[in-house]
Amino acid sequence: MRISRRHVLKSIGAGALATTAMAGTPGMFTAHAADTSGYKALVCVFLFGGLDNHDVIIPYDPSSYGNFATLRSSLISQQGTNRARESLLPLTPASDTVLQGRQMALPPEMPQLKALFDKGDAAIVGNVGPLIEPVSRTRFLSGAAKLPPRLFSHNDQQATWQSSAPEGAQFGWGGLFADAMLASGANTSQPQFTTIATTEVGPFLTGRNAVPYRVSTSGAAQIDLLEDYYEGVAGERTEYLTRVRNQLAATSYRGDHILERDIASAFSSGLDTNEAYDDARASGVPITTAFPATALSQQLKAVAETINVRDRLFATRQIFFVGIGGFDTHSGQVGSLPRLLAEIDAGIGAFNAAMAQMGLTNDVTLFTASDFGRTLAVNGDGTDHGWGGHYFVVGGAVNGGDLYGTLPPPAFDHDADSGGGRLIPSVSVEQYAAQLGRWFGMTDAELSTALPNLGNFDQGTVPFL
Amino acid sequence: MQQPTPRSLFYLTILSVASVLALSACSGSGGSEPSNGAVAAPPPSPPPPLPPPPTGTGAFKDAAGTSRFLTQATFGPTAEDVAALTGTSASAWFLAETQKTPSLNVPLLQAIRSQQSEESGGFLAGQSTTFSFWRNAIEGDDQLRQRMAFALSQLLVVSNFGGEVLTDVPEAVAYYQDVLTRNAFGNYRDLLEEVTYSPAMGHFLTYMGNQKADPATGRMPDENYAREILQLFTIGVVELSPNGEHVLGADGQPIELYDNMDITGLAKVFTGLNINGAFEEPQDFPQNWLVPMVIVEEQHSGEPKHFLNCSIAAGTPAAQSLDEALDCIMAHPNVAPFISRQLIQRFTTSDPDPDYVQRVAATFDSGRFSLPDGTSLGDGRKGDLKATLAAVLFDEDARGETALSDPQFGKIREPILRFTHWARAFDADASFPEYGLELYDLSDPSSLSQHPYRARSVFNFYRPGHIAPGTGSGAIGMTVPELQLVNASSTPGYMNFISFWAFGGQSQIPYEELAAELEDIGLSVQRDRLESAFVPDYTDELALANNAGALVDHLDTLLTYSSLSDDTKSAITATLERAPIDGPADTEGLNVRVGTAVLLVMSSPDYLVQR
Repeated sequence: MRISRRHVLKSIGAGALATTAMAGTPGMFTAHAADTSGYKALVCVFLFGGLDNHDVIIPYDPSSYGNFATLRSSLISQQGTNRARESLLPLTPASDTVLQGRQMALPPEMPQLKALFDKGDAAIVGNVGPLIEPVSRTRFLSGAAKLPPRLFSHNDQQATWQSSAPEGAQFGWGGLFADAMLASGANTSQPQFTTIATTEVGPFLTGRNAVPYRVSTSGAAQIDLLEDYYEGVAGERTEYLTRVRNQLAATSYRGDHILERDIASAFSSGLDTNEAYDDARASGVPITTAFPATALSQQLKAVAETINVRDRLFATRQIFFVGIGGFDTHSGQVGSLPRLLAEIDAGIGAFNAAMAQMGLTNDVTLFTASDFGRTLAVNGDGTDHGWGGHYFVVGGAVNGGDLYGTLPPPAFDHDADSGGGRLIPSVSVEQYAAQLGRWFGMTDAELSTALPNLGNFDQGTVPFL
Repeated sequence: MQQPTPRSLFYLTILSVASVLALSACSGSGGSEPSNGAVAAPPPSPPPPLPPPPTGTGAFKDAAGTSRFLTQATFGPTAEDVAALTGTSASAWFLAETQKTPSLNVPLLQAIRSQQSEESGGFLAGQSTTFSFWRNAIEGDDQLRQRMAFALSQLLVVSNFGGEVLTDVPEAVAYYQDVLTRNAFGNYRDLLEEVTYSPAMGHFLTYMGNQKADPATGRMPDENYAREILQLFTIGVVELSPNGEHVLGADGQPIELYDNMDITGLAKVFTGLNINGAFEEPQDFPQNWLVPMVIVEEQHSGEPKHFLNCSIAAGTPAAQSLDEALDCIMAHPNVAPFISRQLIQRFTTSDPDPDYVQRVAATFDSGRFSLPDGTSLGDGRKGDLKATLAAVLFDEDARGETALSDPQFGKIREPILRFTHWARAFDADASFPEYGLELYDLSDPSSLSQHPYRARSVFNFYRPGHIAPGTGSGAIGMTVPELQLVNASSTPGYMNFISFWAFGGQSQIPYEELAAELEDIGLSVQRDRLESAFVPDYTDELALANNAGALVDHLDTLLTYSSLSDDTKSAITATLERAPIDGPADTEGLNVRVGTAVLLVMSSPDYLVQR
């Protein structure tokens, strides 16, 4: 005889579900409260390793393409037809502000993003990267510019993208956005479902109150094996398994060791939250949209399934983090990157279709992020660490079909080249984040708290949402 | 940073089905009873009385001290080792360990190769670096060396997570494992050179075949290894004091050691190294991956090379360039605190006191250490790893009376070490690790989030500077690398994983079913060895199982050097007392109680933090 998880859950008592991890103080900051009406979600798609911006938003007008093809000849010559100009998917942006007569295209691996762009549901923000203040090439080369620490280093730039500080950072802007929403009364009964990750997340989803909840692509994991090993009389069995479960949750831990307390706290809240999450999912409506079997698509499917039970999780504001690796293409770029771009395209396409089916296209905004862009210069059969990169923002609320930021020409030594075609960003990550935050319902004061350098930038330059 | 191969996922899927099918009883005697559910338990009789506790001094002065030292220094103490060593000299043990014959990996790979059938398509060989790791870690006599090699593998990271060449040609990683194993008590400078020339690192960090710049095409040297050898393998990114703390500049910020000009300068050094023989169709030439890479002089950059405060003259040949570059990097004052702090984190404590770091770093720099019994270790060259490791383990912070009660000293046991500890403590047979299908890939949070030589990237399973957001330790700025693996998925994942072994799950998969799966992947199965593989010997535990309190006391001694808190012991005891047992003849009930006891102790915060 098997005992259902709901049964075990009930027998533990409702008290156990009250998580202490996010005991915030809602109501304290209501004077400038964030807008928590309706439902809105942000979905961050993190591309670990540093996406080669030059191989995603590709020069298309004959002159630019020619320059690009020359500079990237050793890669393009290995690539067969899929980087031939006639294979590319040219973009027709709503305005010519960014390109001023030039043209850009997406690679043939990205037909769905091209369709979303054409439809007005996707925008491209060019040359975004971590900045403390605007940086000119002159000031960069002279050493006068104030720069984010540890540029070009993977872990530090991942952290900086997520939190405006290098490795060791404690709070990310996703978590601080969530804090603002919680303080303004969102998600009061189940705050633990405000920030959700399907892969290892750095500081992005941690705030002073918000902590990321990690789910697998098949729902929350449960303690299953013990049940398989233990048969017994129903009543006794239930009582025993409940006791074992509570012991595993370390709810009675009373020691003073700081790491043991961290473990006990993580076990206790983790097991509780898993049960509540699976409870909500068990009664949810399954998603019928087909998602490919790739890692990214399966993570996005888990996000879509979670959004689908948002009412049962009592959530009106949610921030998700999904991610895949493989983008550190120092070598073998031609063999690996096209497959990854196709994976991104298919995943975002399926996710967008799922949102449309739920009627949430205008309520969910997905955006991409990465450690950094890469060099325009080739190192043989790959590219090296860069700085600014080009990113997608997708959703019905997006001012889509257009380009924002800058898309520098395929050349060296121009105003945005810090060397080798590593782009000096023209849009700071904090400006990019601020635009997402405003749409999400954040006030200007809340944005300033979450994004410490925002005041150093003109805030009107990237109206992609 | 890619996913496991579909093939390995396939086997894991089969496996999880198998574990669901597992029956409720567990085999307690580690024997070869048929799996028909009627498992005979050994007659419950009290374990033999322990000899009177020896008295002595030093790390091995009593059983708890011995067990704690071996927890820090090996893949887990066994009752036999603790009994044999208590009262003896820990210095003598350390010295003897450094003189033992290394257990290597390449011979085990070759043994797997020789028995592998054609139709298995190389799958088994591709997993063999995992098998040899488990076998050496659990069964190897050279425990200190194996543990040091494992620590080094998390610093000088090579990984076959991405599959492809490093899985298809397991010789690459096996040879690399042996480089770390052979040099575990050697010198860090020599190790760095062997690592730099190793095909596994050359491929993993993409400088195998790296060529000098070509002005005609704009091609530049690959910067990958240049950046990571500085950032991850030797000096980090910011200036360190001799005690490992950041030096702050006039602006109050850490001082960065280099910029991208240094990286492009050093990248020129790592040009002109290539595989010794054919690279195309690498799986047809595995022998090329068992030897160092060779120099292709005409591909090496002849430009002058400037990085850090070093210059290598124009026209310097490749081997000399590499030598000079490694000497220059090794001379940097950051190396000692940077490496020492990470070694401390791998053995004793996650957030060491700066004075502790400084003492170990001073040993790294001087290349000498005096063991408590006066024996001198090390040859006086900077980077002596034997001396450095002794400094980590014998430091007053690690050995002093206060460490056990200090609420910030210690580390979360690495998931892999929890499993090896279980296997060693309960004498589970790991001589044929390939019979344990559950062990083929432990990367996912649904098992351990940690698989040997299979980190997700060169940044290891966790970062030495990880300060866990949203935790008590994070609030006071403690670095706790292993907390990076703790989340709501990995929590039940670990509990399910350790349950499988604690309840004897391996022996409950019907023999024919398991044998058929193994034969499918090319193994010729020996029935008696398959039936004993990873079966815990619970003889002592079953004898105590009627008395929950005595059982918990016993596990406290065996697994946590008597450091479970009274609260934890009484809570676990109270839970176990509810495990319905229908008298001393209720074999199934007793087995469930023992399995549950092992699970609860090994999942308790008291156990999970090694203090």
